[in-house]
Amino acid sequence: MAMAAAAPFKVGMKEIYLPNFTVCLKHTPSQPPTSASFLVPLWFSKLDLRDYLHNVYSLAIGPTIRSYVQQSRIRQGQVKDPARPQYKRWHRPRATKRMTVELERPFVWPAEPEDFKPWNKEENKMADQEQSAMQERLGGTKDALTIPTERRVKMREQAKALLEGRERWRPGGGRGVEGIGMFGR
Amino acid sequence: MPPNMHCTQSSHLLTALLTPTRTTTSPPAFLLPAFAQTSPFSSSTPCSARKDHNRNRGVSALRHTGLGKNQRLSVRLSNLPQPVLDPLRRSVVKVDENHGLWGFFPKERTRISTPEESNMHGRAWTVQELRGKDWDDLHRLWWVCVREKNRIATTEVERKRLGGRFGMYGDHESGQRVAEVKGTMRCIKFVLTERWYAWENAREAGMEDPEVDLYADVEGGERAYLPQEEGEETLSLGSEDDARTDPTQRLPPPVESTVSSEARVRV
Repeated sequence: MAMAAAAPFKVGMKEIYLPNFTVCLKHTPSQPPTSASFLVPLWFSKLDLRDYLHNVYSLAIGPTIRSYVQQSRIRQGQVKDPARPQYKRWHRPRATKRMTVELERPFVWPAEPEDFKPWNKEENKMADQEQSAMQERLGGTKDALTIPTERRVKMREQAKALLEGRERWRPGGGRGVEGIGMFGR
Repeated sequence: MPPNMHCTQSSHLLTALLTPTRTTTSPPAFLLPAFAQTSPFSSSTPCSARKDHNRNRGVSALRHTGLGKNQRLSVRLSNLPQPVLDPLRRSVVKVDENHGLWGFFPKERTRISTPEESNMHGRAWTVQELRGKDWDDLHRLWWVCVREKNRIATTEVERKRLGGRFGMYGDHESGQRVAEVKGTMRCIKFVLTERWYAWENAREAGMEDPEVDLYADVEGGERAYLPQEEGEETLSLGSEDDARTDPTQRLPPPVESTVSSEARVRV
């Protein structure tokens, strides 16, 4: 990796060799292409970001950087690195700091993938819907006094068929001992 | 909603409730009094923003804000440039090939890497492999790892955003990749710590050692290691065996065998 050119801004005296933090680029479609937003560590300053982008990414930026700290909402759940890990503890996760930078040369994000097949997005959606439907069918955790409409309609049809003589009642509903009837081939 | 309308006005309620959402169903009976009410909740007249006839509002003489005496602006209020709101009609921005922000994207310059692409990684460097590397190489490798971690973090944030409510695959693969990168970074720090301890131990030993001169200017030609000869005042803890183990003494001559070669053959 080539050494960065002389910085166009004033640099300090402190030399940092092996820092261990992550700076993440955010997607901001509402902002113009000459703007870029980053998720930075909470202790980061604007001067740090300017220095970081110049040295690590050779990025020329405008004079102003805007930053804000986003407070997280209180939520239940597993607390990350707690003193005493507890399931479903009310806590406020750590706040996140975002910084917006003006770029000298514009940058447009690559296009979104048209087909999400490599990431199995459709299958995930279908699986989730299937699971929620199954849970509804099972009745959920509350006392199932209501029977779903689908099942009620099917039971009405079966009863009608039995009464009219179109079908004959068989013990077990015609299924084998195993319950599915596939083993009686 | 028109600016003079309030959300509780009956005409708005009517249009909102009677617009068929799923099927044409009449509103439930408990909502019928809403249509009977013809007056708005608020009795005051709705007010809209009026023109501010004070041209010098916000202008400060002390801070020299506002236009100068003969200053003319290039833009007229009647001739303001309008933003192009339709994204399809905007001009295409040409992105520089060597833009710094490409470092946050995968090698293929796609928006996010697929789980298959994320999975195509090797193993972390081991401590034994890194022990042979010098500081410059280790430093470069550290920054390669940092950039890779940034890239993976950017991909993860974008993937979670695009996944929506049900999510997308790629979590596990990214996690494995980051684990390998972190392993490499851990090994780099391990090797550097080991080296520092070796250097520190050597320095401390050198400080106590009379034969070593830590303040010597090696580049200037001074010697840092000055082995001292043993003098008479030193206590000699010698033994009779010293002559045998003394490296400076010559080896004793080999014992000549009295038995000649002809004597060996005995028929």
